[in-house]
Amino acid sequence: MPAPTPTSEILSPELLAQLERLELVSRKVFRGRMKGERRSKRKGQSVEFADFRNYSHGDDLRFIDWNSYARLDKLFLKLFFEEEDLHFYALIDASASMDFGDPTKLAYAKQLAASLAFIGLVRSDRVKIETVGQPARQSGPMWRGRRSLWPMLDHLEHISPGEPAPLAEGVKNFCLRNSGKGIVVLISDLMDKHGYTDALRYLMARQMDVYVIQVLSQEEIEPDVKGDLRLIDCEDEDMAEITVSAPLLKRYKQNLAAFVEGAREFCNRRGMSYILAKNQLPVDQLVSNYLRQRGLVR
Amino acid sequence: MMAALRNIVDSARNYGAKATGLLFERAEMLVVWQWLLLALVPLLIVLLYFLKLKRQPLQVPSTYLWHKSIEDLHVNSVWQRLRQSLLLYLQLLFIALVAWTLLRPTIQGKRLIGDRFIFLVDNSASMGATDVAPTRLDEAKKRAGELIDEMRTGDVAMLVSFSDGAKIEQSFSEDPRELRRRLDAIKQTDRSTSLAEALRVAAGLANPGRSSNREDAGDVQVAEAEPATLYIFSDGKFPKVKDFSLGHLAEKGREPNYVIIGEPDATNVAIGAFTTGRQEANPDHLQVFARLDNHCAEKVSVIAELSLNGELIDAKPIDIEPGDSTGVEYDPDKVETGVLKLSIDAKDALAIDNVAWTTINARRRGKVLFVTPENKPLEFALNTDRVRELADVTQRTPDFLAQPDYRKQADGGGYDLVIYDRCRPEQMPQANTLFIGRLPLSDGWRAGEMADVPQIIDVEQGHPLMQIVEMGNVLIVEGTPLFPPSGGTTLIDSQVGAMFAIGPREGYEDAVMGFMIVDQDKMGTDWPRFASFPVFVLNTIEYLAGTRSSLDSGSVRPGQPIAWRSDTPAERIQVRPPKGAPFEVSRGALNTFNVTSTADVGVYEVRAGDQALGSFAVNLFDGNESDVRPALELAVGDYKVEGKTSREPARRDLWKIVLLAALAVLLAEWYIYNRRVYV
Repeated sequence: MPAPTPTSEILSPELLAQLERLELVSRKVFRGRMKGERRSKRKGQSVEFADFRNYSHGDDLRFIDWNSYARLDKLFLKLFFEEEDLHFYALIDASASMDFGDPTKLAYAKQLAASLAFIGLVRSDRVKIETVGQPARQSGPMWRGRRSLWPMLDHLEHISPGEPAPLAEGVKNFCLRNSGKGIVVLISDLMDKHGYTDALRYLMARQMDVYVIQVLSQEEIEPDVKGDLRLIDCEDEDMAEITVSAPLLKRYKQNLAAFVEGAREFCNRRGMSYILAKNQLPVDQLVSNYLRQRGLVR
Repeated sequence: MMAALRNIVDSARNYGAKATGLLFERAEMLVVWQWLLLALVPLLIVLLYFLKLKRQPLQVPSTYLWHKSIEDLHVNSVWQRLRQSLLLYLQLLFIALVAWTLLRPTIQGKRLIGDRFIFLVDNSASMGATDVAPTRLDEAKKRAGELIDEMRTGDVAMLVSFSDGAKIEQSFSEDPRELRRRLDAIKQTDRSTSLAEALRVAAGLANPGRSSNREDAGDVQVAEAEPATLYIFSDGKFPKVKDFSLGHLAEKGREPNYVIIGEPDATNVAIGAFTTGRQEANPDHLQVFARLDNHCAEKVSVIAELSLNGELIDAKPIDIEPGDSTGVEYDPDKVETGVLKLSIDAKDALAIDNVAWTTINARRRGKVLFVTPENKPLEFALNTDRVRELADVTQRTPDFLAQPDYRKQADGGGYDLVIYDRCRPEQMPQANTLFIGRLPLSDGWRAGEMADVPQIIDVEQGHPLMQIVEMGNVLIVEGTPLFPPSGGTTLIDSQVGAMFAIGPREGYEDAVMGFMIVDQDKMGTDWPRFASFPVFVLNTIEYLAGTRSSLDSGSVRPGQPIAWRSDTPAERIQVRPPKGAPFEVSRGALNTFNVTSTADVGVYEVRAGDQALGSFAVNLFDGNESDVRPALELAVGDYKVEGKTSREPARRDLWKIVLLAALAVLLAEWYIYNRRVYV
């Protein structure tokens, strides 16, 4: 009997029902730590046949293919795929800049992380949700199984915006903390004055299956500004004085498009998946349409 | 082809010259420092635009992309800022338009000649014609207003409205707004027109008291002549102004202007006269006469409806030939009192003359004093049924004239008519008089030498006293030729002079007979033997004792005074005019109530307290006013003023349009600012 479905602001029952049918897919096959529902590189005990090999001393007699022995008079051992669990990491950028938009980019990121994590929990994967600004030595909790949904959501709800760490350093810490392989979904706006490339390189170096989901708010994509303004950066109080005009807006949009395109290209070249998520796009659509297309879920 | 091209080029050049002239014309309104001040305004706006320090702070997720965008655009930043600022341009444009508005831009200007103007605006009855929508007066005010708008700083103008009199609406003023206000306040009247009065007012300032003796070097003018340009806005429907010299108002370069108001083909059908009379054969029966005038170029058919006290009693279709008049007669049943109203259903330009009223008031019996030693024929004639019906005749001997009772009655207006047969009073009574064989003591009456058997050669039968009085065979034994005072009329003329005449005296009339009817038991004439004698006596009672006027109180024209005679002992009567509030009139010196406020046509009710005394009517009855076809020229003395039918090429103000454009710009700026339209 499945555990009672908790309701939360982050995940609605309808979304949960929708997500329950999905599963996380890794383009790479990793070794798990525990027996799970995923085919592993390792051969082991499952119902899925993998290969034959010659019997060697000490092998389990239960896996000998007696029919082949009867025909060929040779002992062959039937190999089966081992089914193992998958490591799923969601890394949320909880910097001050994520606290913008309606819904805020952070809320959106949390919902997205929760959705993906729930898919993992249902499929008995190992799920871990961390933030970029998390202290280097402090590893977050890990969940497995549907029963962990509630603590996971509780954990998510305690994530608040305003973490000061730069993106690169946060990702580096994450990589140091988590040595396991698996799927990493970085949910961030990538709006870091020091750039996002270092951060992505760290992830790439871990040879993980990396998904970069850039969350942008509507206000960033189509700025609703007029007149003469002093723009104040919420993270470092940096100021920019602008007089809103058509050329300026045009230039801004060009720069934004270039920025997004740059991130996409950077990711694609390095075998990472890049997805642009607008905060106005409902999470269920993002998961069931976009992420499905990109192969993260099926 | 070449000629046509040349024409086009010439007209373009002319237009350009006109435009340049205009620019300069308006430009001279501002002095240099004002221009500089005006030029500073846009500069100030640009400066403020760049110096404005107030920027709205706005927190954003990241200034990263904004910085990048600004840096990209910072090349040629000043130019960039200007290029972006559509709002700035719109503001500058707005200020420019507002400034232009303040300069009162105009097109196709024609400068008013001279710097002193007199605008005469006709507000007589004919100016209420609607051939020019809405009315001629409105059109005249509009035209005058256009000229007032054309006035430049330093120009002065006087505004005079005129109908049968002239009224200075505004003496010479520089303030166009005040002039406009006064012009707008000019009201339509129902009065007739007389230009002479208005011209006198205008000329009073232009031609001040001249030296009476030009030969005398010491006799100088009272004041400097101040010539002015005269503008007359009228339809020209007034009599020729005689014996008047425009003087400085018509000097060279300042010719008077007559602006014709009204369409030349305006049509009008008018009631030219409307009166009542008694049938001679049957005095109880009333006859109603009216004259309809057709002032159109075509034959018209109208229906003339007669109503008594608001109830229709008769209607007749009438055809009137163009330019002609037609009489119409009604025989209503016995009518004692009431208001008769005649209306025609003509669809014409002037409505005021499509209706007329006459009033029939209760008969007032005349009071007649007959002072005679003895005069049987006259006594007999004054004792007929008809005379008794009309008047109370009291007969006295001449010694009555010395009694205080007579003095009191005569001075207090107790009599309507006093007949002095071979006697005369020391003082003329406050009444009409008939002197027989004596001259009145009043000034003006003179008599010639007594003549024997003067032959009657003419009888003025047009006068009410002598109507249907035939005197061809009448013999007069002896008579004195009479010389009536000025304004008098000879009623019976003989070869030696007037035998019977009538002359005015302070609102009364004195009829004087130069011969006696009875002279000491002898007959002075055989007139009493003829049928014309009692007719004459009846005429005398009807006319001089005022009983005729009591039938039809008479109709006066708008603005003319009416002397209301009444038996009422009240000292004040109340008059309720057709328009406006009732007013009171006090008894005048001549025992009449002189009602002067008769500006509007219609029926005026007269009351004394609760008692209704009757009513009188005010009607237009003016052929000049009713003929609404405007006169093409005015004649002032020997001077002819050609009318201008076409619209004066007045400077047409553009400021309203420019102000509207400025508002449109303001609206566009608001829209752009709010809708975030960027260039």
